[in-house]
Amino acid sequence: MTVNITEQIQEKAREILSSGQVELIIGYQRASDGVTARPAFIRKAENVAKLIFDQTCTHNLAKYAIEHRGKSMAIVAKACDTFGINVLIQENQIIREKTYVIGVNCPGVVEVSFGQVGDKLQYRCQICQEHAPAVYDYVAGDPVEEKPLGFDPYIKVKVLEALSQEERIAFWEKHFERCIRCYACRNACPQCYCTECVVEQIDPDWVGIPIQVPEKQIFHVIRAFHLAGRCIGCNECERSCPVGIPLSLMNMKFSQDVEDQFGYKPGRDPEVCAPLATYQPDENLGIGG
Amino acid sequence: MSLDYEPRIIGFLCNWCAFAGADLAGTTRTGYPSNIRIIRVPCSGRVDPLLILKAYQQGADAVLIAGCHPGDCHYVQGNYFARRRFALLRQFLDYLGIEKERLRLEWVSASEGRKFARLVKEMTEEVSRLGPRKDTVRRPVKVATE
Repeated sequence: MTVNITEQIQEKAREILSSGQVELIIGYQRASDGVTARPAFIRKAENVAKLIFDQTCTHNLAKYAIEHRGKSMAIVAKACDTFGINVLIQENQIIREKTYVIGVNCPGVVEVSFGQVGDKLQYRCQICQEHAPAVYDYVAGDPVEEKPLGFDPYIKVKVLEALSQEERIAFWEKHFERCIRCYACRNACPQCYCTECVVEQIDPDWVGIPIQVPEKQIFHVIRAFHLAGRCIGCNECERSCPVGIPLSLMNMKFSQDVEDQFGYKPGRDPEVCAPLATYQPDENLGIGG
Repeated sequence: MSLDYEPRIIGFLCNWCAFAGADLAGTTRTGYPSNIRIIRVPCSGRVDPLLILKAYQQGADAVLIAGCHPGDCHYVQGNYFARRRFALLRQFLDYLGIEKERLRLEWVSASEGRKFARLVKEMTEEVSRLGPRKDTVRRPVKVATE
């Protein structure tokens, strides 16, 4: 199966690259450590053999689509990555006609770190219920059987919600204290593309320079809020965090609330308006009176 | 919590309804607690979550956002967007440990001076009961130098 997907992707990539349909293929190649994967940018048909796909291909390549916006390109995208591409199309960041999506029926990716490949699926893949790409021009791989989950995908959020206020404050303080404000979470996120980020603005100086808990907490709340109704749960932020802050717990809280209140899941259909960009005049959200 | 604890409430009032309502409370001499510090904004839809967090960081005990009633927005739909935004933010801040009572979104029309006074009174009592904030979005207030 692994060989199968790789071959399919290579064949398709060679075809569209040599026909001149696209000028760039964004895919995966084997990293220098020999076991994990890294993003690959292929411009010549003879380099297509570098492309791979297996369960170590964890990156969300939609991020690189923004950097190459305007070019005709092809992206190798797992199911969750196609949601990210959909959000970018919805927000007019990339042009659908110029983007060739090589969708992959994704069996889930395993936990990886430099030089090491685990055999356990990543948490986001354990709770994944949509393995087929949402937007594609070509699909590689066999359809993955959708099995009922058997537990609540937001169980981790619910557990934290059930704690007392003091425990929650202590929990988050413990994590925010470790943050070094490297902004890797923001940089890795395919949905964060502002040219000037609000946390780096100097005038007005919304988020101060000190690397202290209040500033770090404001940064994290704003980062999470800017992803409310947009986060597709690819978990690149948490994976790229050098100090291991559970950022997914913040993103999933918003995903859960958006799903409960507005019945919306981002990235499934670019034609449906995002929840915070629309409204119902007579809705009751338990606020305003 | 000391007995002389006085909560500080920051009020973001929309220019067209709530601010005029607060004005009316003043001109009709309807008394309300002086714990609220009012900031006039063009619309409740203008209030960015960042403003609220900044208020908390600078030591506010609670934040009130007041705008026009649904359907009355000067900009037609600003308050509807605000409603969705703060419904989410309120739940999220509660998740991080800032109680839901510390963030309120209310509709106050230009003729509702009494409602405004009642709201401020209610909120001051509620926040006094809760006491000072226990979470970590706070740092010592520094006086800005121009």
